[in-house]
Parts: sequence; structure tokens; C-alpha cells
Amino acid sequence: MANEALTLLELNKRISSLIMVSSTQNVWVTAELSDVVVRGGHCYMELLQKDPEKGTTLAKARAMIWANLYPRIESQFYAATGQRFATGIKVMVQVSATMHPVYGISLVVSAVNPEYTMGDLLRRRREMLERLKHEGILEMNRSLEWTTLPQRIAVVSAPGAAGYGDFRDQLYKNQARLKFKVELFPAVMQGERAPETIIAALEQIAMQSDAWDCVVIIRGGGATSDLVAFENYDLATHVAQFPLPVIVGIGHDRDVTILDYVAKKSVKTPTAAAEWLIACGVKALERLRRIGAEMLQTVADRLAGCKEQLSYIEGLIPSVAGAVIQSNKAKVQSQLLVLASVGSRRISPELARLNHVKDVMVSATKMAIERKNIRLNTIAELLDAISPHATLRRGYSITRINGQVVTSVSQISHGAVLETTLADGMIKSTTNN
Amino acid sequence: MANQPVFTPVKEMTYTQAVAELESILRMMQSEDCDIDQLAAYTRRATELLKDCRSRLTATDEELRSILADLEK
Repeated sequence: MANEALTLLELNKRISSLIMVSSTQNVWVTAELSDVVVRGGHCYMELLQKDPEKGTTLAKARAMIWANLYPRIESQFYAATGQRFATGIKVMVQVSATMHPVYGISLVVSAVNPEYTMGDLLRRRREMLERLKHEGILEMNRSLEWTTLPQRIAVVSAPGAAGYGDFRDQLYKNQARLKFKVELFPAVMQGERAPETIIAALEQIAMQSDAWDCVVIIRGGGATSDLVAFENYDLATHVAQFPLPVIVGIGHDRDVTILDYVAKKSVKTPTAAAEWLIACGVKALERLRRIGAEMLQTVADRLAGCKEQLSYIEGLIPSVAGAVIQSNKAKVQSQLLVLASVGSRRISPELARLNHVKDVMVSATKMAIERKNIRLNTIAELLDAISPHATLRRGYSITRINGQVVTSVSQISHGAVLETTLADGMIKSTTNN
Repeated sequence: MANQPVFTPVKEMTYTQAVAELESILRMMQSEDCDIDQLAAYTRRATELLKDCRSRLTATDEELRSILADLEK
């Protein structure tokens, strides 16, 4: 028996014949890609099945796409999904198991169903978006205001990549002569290390965030696109929570990554990012120009308006003055009339009153005189009644001697000359006894 | 003479604040309330703001030369 050992080739051929049966041929299988590499036009890769909970590998197989099929399959896949074959991508592939005497078992891919990959990417992205939303950070970067025009730009990109150089040249040589400051914060922009290096670059920028107006994340041109690297939750949270507005230019012409959902501004290419920044500046310059022009017009209008008003007033003054004089004259006239009528109304009664007073005074005076006369007459009569004349008229007489009134016989001496006054005259007589 | 308005020094303002002030001066000038005595003051202020905003946005010849020289390196 020992002498009848098989050669390894014979054994491998047996294994091969056992493996390459109809049940292992042209079967559709779902798996995750890993270690994708293109060599000699052929594409080699690992197919994995991982435990969805623990992430541990449950199954693994080598796979390849022959060079005669690879370009067609790859371009169809890229056209449909915007993805290249790369680590982490979930695929549904049609494979046939083969056993090569030298290279061992591997799965030869004959077709790919891009819809499965699309569905998986979308599902994963949707889950991440839900999570970001739930955590309240989804809109954080998007809701940042542009506090100033973005002119100081921190770029996260691959060093030496054409994309960054073009971006910087485009900004520095812009036709509008807008001022820009651009600095590179290097990161790996493809493969598994992309998220961690981009996060490191972002953290570096965050430490000097006063020095920058915004961050631009762009991919170097010509690099193999594998957007799956950007479909990363940690990276998304860093971009979403970044204190400065983030502009992302890593997208594909048609497809997007989760970063396009969380960044302030999403464009497709570095060129588009530069164009957008320049457009912002041009718009700002245009706004300044418009304000300046409008202000000039306003000032000119205002001054012209004022001059017009002045000359209008100037023209009005003579006629206005005439009108004013006229109207004042009329006013004075009417006031005179009013005054006259008021005067006559007020003066007439006063005159009447004065006249009345005069009459009263005249008659009062007359009466007073009358009364005085009557009284004087009475007194006169009284005086008359008690006067010596009245006594004389009644038959009495007054006898005087040498002017002295004689009231006693003793006063009369012999021979005295008596002067007797009667009512109507005087007689002299001489006593003889 | 009306009271002359008091302005913040332009250098202490952000670009956004400067442009906002420009817009508000323009609106004020266009309104009927604008005092003709203040027109000159506001025009001077607006000119200052415009000049500063433009200089913040655009590079001088000298700055351009230095940028382009850097690119050549």
C-alpha cells in the first residue's frame, strides 16, 4: 500500500474533480471584500463572512477575477455603485469553485450584482445617519453660520496629490484677485487608514481653529476611488461636530458618502470646491460693488432732491411774500372793522350812561339849590320875626342917649337928647323934666 | 447741526458686521428719515467700510506677487 502513494498532483486533481461539480459552479454568494489587489490584469481578493455581532471571521475564501472579465465587471460595478472593489464592500458575486494543482482552491468570479452592494451601502449609511441624528450631531456642522467669508482654508488631503495642488493654484490665481490662505494638513485619502488620518488632521486644525475660516477635505486626483473608506461613523461624527464649517470634495460624480450629509458644504471635486470658494468671494465683491453704486445713486438723488427743493422754495418766496402781505392787510382790515363794531357797541351805552349821569346831576343840583332856598327863606322869615324891626313895626321903639340904649328912666337926665328909633325913622327930643 | 453718529472702528469689526452696517446705512440713506446734515458723515463711513471690506477680500499687487512666488517654489 505504501508504495502505491499518489503524487500530490494526482491528489490535487482528485480534489479538483470533487470540488468542480455543478453544485459549486456558477453559484451566487454574498461576502465582504478584503485585500483586493490587481496583478497582471487579474484581480485577486479575499471573500469574508463576518459575524455581524462580534465581527469575527466565520468564513474566508480566496477569489479572483480573470483579466479577460475584470475590466468589464469592474466598470459595470463602478458605474452602478460609484465604488471600486475595495476592502469592506459587501458584494454579491457569481463564482465557480476551482482547484488549481499549484495555487489551491479559489473562487473564480464570473459576475457581480451591483444592486446588492448599493443596497448594503445605503442601508449602512442610513443606519449611521439615524444614529447621528439620534445623537443630535447630524446637523451640527451644517447649521454653523459663515461668520466671515471663507478665505483662510485648512485643507485635508493627501500630500503631493495633484488634487490639492490644483485646488491651491486655482485659489491663488483666481481672476478676481481674491485673497486666500491655504495650508495642507496631510492625511491618507484612501484605504482603511483614511478615517483615522483624516480625524488626526482635523484635530490638528481644531487646535488652531482661530487661524482658519473653514476646512476643505479633498481627495488627491488620480487616486483609486474607494469611497467606502469615508463611510465611517467616527469620521462622520468628527466632521459633524467640527467647530468650523467643513467643505467636502471627495464625492463621486453621482454618488455621495456620509460626509456629504454631515458637512456644511458638499461638492464633487477639488476643482468644484475651489470654484465655490471663489464664487463666494466674487459674490461678496459684487455685493460691495452694488452697495457702493446704490449709495452713490442715493446720495446723488438726495442732493439733487435738496437742490430742487431749495430752488423751488426760492422761486416761491416773492409770490409767497406778496400773498402774505395781502393776506395780512386783509386781516388788519377785518380786524379794524371788528374793532369799530366792537367800539361802537361798547361806547354807545357808556355815552348814554354818561348823559344820564349828567341829567341826574343837573336835576339833583337844582333840587339841592331849591331846598337850600326854601330853607334860607324860612330862616329869613324867622330872622325877620325876631328882628327889632318887627318889634318896632308892632309899635315898640328904641330910645338911645348918645348912642346908648336906654332901658331905665334913671338913665335920663334933664335936658338929655333922646333919640327914638321907630320902625320907619328916628326922632330927636329933648327932655325938660 | 444734528448730532453726529458715533461709529465702531472698522478694524474691530468682522467682515460680516461691516457689510451688515453698510446695508443698514444704505437703507437709512434711502429712508425719508435721513437727515441731510448726516448724509456726509454716513457717506464717509460707508466709503471707509467699503474700502476696508474690499481690501480684506482682494490681494494687493505686492501680495499677489508674493503668493505667486511661493507657488513657484
